[in-house]
Amino acid sequence: MMDRLSIVQKTVVSIFLAGMMLLVVVPLLFFSTVAFSNATEMSEFPKNLFPFFNVTVLVEAADDGQYEIFYDSGEGYESIITTGKADKLEKHFRRQYSVTVSGEQLLEDFARTQTEGPQEFTYKKDVFYNFKQFFNIVPNAASALKNSIIVSLLTILISLSIGSLAGYAMARFSFKGKSQFNVAMLIVRMFPVVGISIPMAVMLIKMGLYDTLLGLALLYSVPNIALTAWITNSIFIGINQELEEASMVFGAGRFQTFMRVTLPLAFPALAASSMYSFLTAWNDTISALILTNENQTLALVVYKAIGTTSSGIQYAAAGSIVLILPALVFTFIIRKYIGQMWGGVEL
Amino acid sequence: MSYLEIKELQKRYTSSGPLIVNDMNLLINKGEFIVFLGPSGCGKTTTIRMISGLEEVTGGDIMIEGQSILDKKPKDRGVSMIFQSYAIWPHMTVFDNIAYPLKLQKVSKEETKKRVEAAAAATDIQGLLKRYPAQMSGGQRQRVAVSRAIVVEPKIFLMDEPLSNLDAKLRVSMRTELKNIHNKLGATSIFVTHDQAEAMSLADRIVIMYKGKIEQIGTPMEVYQDSATRFVAEFIGTPPTNFFMTTIERDGGGLRAMNEFFRYQVPKSLVSALTPYLGQKVEMGVRPEFISISPEMARTEGYLADVEIHFVEPQGSHSILILDMGGNEIKIHTSRYMDIQAGTKISINVKEERVMFFDCDTGVRVK
Repeated sequence: MMDRLSIVQKTVVSIFLAGMMLLVVVPLLFFSTVAFSNATEMSEFPKNLFPFFNVTVLVEAADDGQYEIFYDSGEGYESIITTGKADKLEKHFRRQYSVTVSGEQLLEDFARTQTEGPQEFTYKKDVFYNFKQFFNIVPNAASALKNSIIVSLLTILISLSIGSLAGYAMARFSFKGKSQFNVAMLIVRMFPVVGISIPMAVMLIKMGLYDTLLGLALLYSVPNIALTAWITNSIFIGINQELEEASMVFGAGRFQTFMRVTLPLAFPALAASSMYSFLTAWNDTISALILTNENQTLALVVYKAIGTTSSGIQYAAAGSIVLILPALVFTFIIRKYIGQMWGGVEL
Repeated sequence: MSYLEIKELQKRYTSSGPLIVNDMNLLINKGEFIVFLGPSGCGKTTTIRMISGLEEVTGGDIMIEGQSILDKKPKDRGVSMIFQSYAIWPHMTVFDNIAYPLKLQKVSKEETKKRVEAAAAATDIQGLLKRYPAQMSGGQRQRVAVSRAIVVEPKIFLMDEPLSNLDAKLRVSMRTELKNIHNKLGATSIFVTHDQAEAMSLADRIVIMYKGKIEQIGTPMEVYQDSATRFVAEFIGTPPTNFFMTTIERDGGGLRAMNEFFRYQVPKSLVSALTPYLGQKVEMGVRPEFISISPEMARTEGYLADVEIHFVEPQGSHSILILDMGGNEIKIHTSRYMDIQAGTKISINVKEERVMFFDCDTGVRVK
């Protein structure tokens, strides 16, 4: 039964929640606006909160068949460029306004101004221009995306298969040094991945796994095996052993019991663990920086793009969106199982 | 030939640990309803888990229809089990729960449907087949567990305290229903419980276990009226048997059992059995309903002593009188003097020579 709030309490709570929302939403919104902005918008101040999808320019006919282009970046129209060459116009519109219209087309449109005087023209922005540009500027971005997916899947596979078995063993069997083992795993989890990157790099070089996706996945699996073991351990303890025994009495072998009874019941825990593993692998940059050379991951590539450009921030932002989307999608798919796990469902 | 035979069965959990089940021997006939009764930790659950194959056997043998089942996996033993927690799989509907064993046996779909419906009808849950266990009450889950157990048509039903999670009223009605189902199917059943009322009302024969050993095997009447050991006499019956430490002495031609409060003339039928105990201590046990009371100083047959009533516990149909004999609490079951007051002085007598003597060291009945 929820307590009813008085009007004052309601107001305070609403303000508080609204403040929290702003803290979370505004940076995200701003960030995605940047990802959809063209170069001219990037230099505007104050920035727009929402991205525009159209660009309007004022065109006036000049001498010798040239045109003067004016653009309004908040303080009235300013002259930007005067040219009559198709290729120059095309380049200018593409680079500055993210408008991909051919130069001949532009000249044809502007021809009206010679008879009718200065006019405003509105063009549609190429919404995904920054994204295309990101993959153009950063030549290995596409392969980095592929690498990231592979490394994440490998990490999930390794940590789930080893971690859940460890969790099952800890839940179902008693053995010497079990509590020490438990604590040891927690300690492994406490190490920052960076901390073990250097020794891991040495080991991986010796094993011939340096700069391979498998090597990277192994590194990410180290803390996640421990985490998975912890999460699944508590779930397996929560699964009444009689449920498994009943399955064995009623006709199933051990393996069938595991597949038909234990696994479905432990699914929320596995889903939650896989999310953690995925996020570790997907978001890491520093370990990838140390452990890879050719086979970089997307997070690393985006990081480098942001760190090395001063003018192309919007492309890096587009890259970041590419980086965030899979993580978002994955988390939303997994969400309902995590709710099940921490929602106190009786097993 | 008996249907199920347990031969010198032993169980240890660790190689140097104590014997949880200690040389157990038992023959069970086809169609019998056997109850394993005993306090917790007596090895009764371990025994049926060994029969089901969930627990490994340390020594001895278990045979069904003359064949050892020790090498068989649980699923191949032809047993079905009802668990204490019901063990209904929460991620399956009731139908899938009951159909699970049939699916694994690759029974055809139509036949599965037919058999599941029949099993559900037997426990009156036809309307719940599409539900999930989380949407059902404890009693309904229990019925699902029973349906699942009968759908496989097992050689032996094993029930591990199946009623202990139900509330008192439901327990009694489920008890009657289980017995009904057993009678209808005529299946051989082994039922584990620590509740003697459950054991008495269900069993054809009760196996009373204590510390891994069988104390007595008998019909409910036998174990009550003719307890084989002190443990059985104490464990069976509410209130339990009253015990008096006595010394056997010669009394003319016969014997008497005496202590500081009374001297009791030993019935003639027991004289020869008790003669070897002359001068030694034996424990005398009398069930609460076999102690009669009479007004003080009225010496009747079987007179024991004059005592003051400490408490009266009225039960409606009868009353329990509680007396104190030198720190030893004596309980008397009476339906004649139900409105007697605490503080009244009375004489207590043993009715109809219904007295039992037990060896002090072994606890075995002397008779």
